[in-house]
Amino acid sequence: MEFVRQSLVIATKDLTIELRSKERLLSMLTFAVLVAVVFTFSLDPTVQSRGIAGAMIWVTILFAGMLGLGRSFSLEREQDAMVGVLLTPVGRGALFFGKFLANLALLSGATLVVYLIYALFFQLSMFSAAPGLAGVTLLAIVGFLALGTLFSAIAASTRLGDTLLPIVLLPLLIPVVFFGATAVQRLLLGRPFEEIAGSVRMLAAFDLLFLFVCTTLFGKVVEE
Amino acid sequence: MIDTSSYRGTRIWAGSLSILAAASLIWAFYLIFFYAPTEATMGVVQRIFYVHVPSAWVAFLAFGIVALSSLGYLWLKDDRLDAIALSAAELGVIFTSGVLITGPLWGKLAWGAWWVWEPRLTLTLLLWLIYIAYFMIRNATDNPETGKRFAAILGIVGAVDIPLIHVSVQWFRSQHPQAVVLRPEGPTADPEIVQTLLVSLLAFTLAFFALLLYRYGLERMRGQLEALRYNAISSQTTSAEGALR
Repeated sequence: MEFVRQSLVIATKDLTIELRSKERLLSMLTFAVLVAVVFTFSLDPTVQSRGIAGAMIWVTILFAGMLGLGRSFSLEREQDAMVGVLLTPVGRGALFFGKFLANLALLSGATLVVYLIYALFFQLSMFSAAPGLAGVTLLAIVGFLALGTLFSAIAASTRLGDTLLPIVLLPLLIPVVFFGATAVQRLLLGRPFEEIAGSVRMLAAFDLLFLFVCTTLFGKVVEE
Repeated sequence: MIDTSSYRGTRIWAGSLSILAAASLIWAFYLIFFYAPTEATMGVVQRIFYVHVPSAWVAFLAFGIVALSSLGYLWLKDDRLDAIALSAAELGVIFTSGVLITGPLWGKLAWGAWWVWEPRLTLTLLLWLIYIAYFMIRNATDNPETGKRFAAILGIVGAVDIPLIHVSVQWFRSQHPQAVVLRPEGPTADPEIVQTLLVSLLAFTLAFFALLLYRYGLERMRGQLEALRYNAISSQTTSAEGALR
């Protein structure tokens, strides 16, 4: 339970800093609104938005999430604050998990707003499917952020920085995008749960696998 | 002086493997062009198959080697394992590129389109993209040791992810020709086709390992050269400091 306590300490630290500056959340939200606006203007008005809403929502969540992840380790990077964090008696695994939890809290908030934006801009009624949508989306962003937190720590220590993150992350995230977007699209079209059961199982497997792998490998990222 | 004698074993192995590889490649090309029958429906284009399938096999083998040696490198910190991973990754890019070039060449005639989002072709494209990311990570750090470590992490994560990516791309309806050789009920293709494919697989595998050993030897020597250069510079700096005092 020490692991959980330490993770929560790290997550609270990150979220407290975020609550004071609000810079990551605000930039993610503004960006998400802009992506939705760009979609509106680039789509032909005759296109049935309900049929492609799953894809648009997922592109928005991915890009906004990637934007937020880019800043995930920036505080530690400035003035070598990472050394200080590593000197605290927090295990490497717990440090990763805490970072992951903070990212999860932020992106969950941003994702909720993404759904509201799309419901508003594209007149999509989502209330009947809301519990399913919430569950599937949460499963998918857990997998996204497990890999995302690991590779944002790596990208932050390279010369390329945030530029590297999408290049490394997107090919690895294909299963999340595919199963997440398919499930969301089917729920939006009002299909029954049985049709997305396979996607849910695959997302859950992806989450468990990469939470374990990334927590284990994180120690090797920050090793000095 | 670089001690090249310690690579004698590597070089002897690389040399003998390349002779074997060259011989079996000539044999394979003879079989491909003169022995294997022309396929009834696809015609002469089907002969791309004997290059396409072995390239894909070698590309995936290379990724396996990258993953295993990356895992070894992270825990044992042995530079030799990193040199193997790097060499295998470079060859992996070359052979995945081969698959991605030969696939559409065949597909244009067989499917009528250069590119089709077909599971195995998509998987190879994603593998190729992961390999590209591997080199970008490797070269993006100021300290080469950090770059090696980060690349090894991507090598492992990529290997864990590939089966999941495979399942995702399988979701689409497959347009890829079904396996005609490796089937539980035994091959359905002509024996001539099977023999040609097997020889071609052998030739490509031998060529891969010969190239891997050459590239490995080169990478090891480059590493030693860098260490010598570093030592020379640091000893110069020390003597310059001594002279200033």
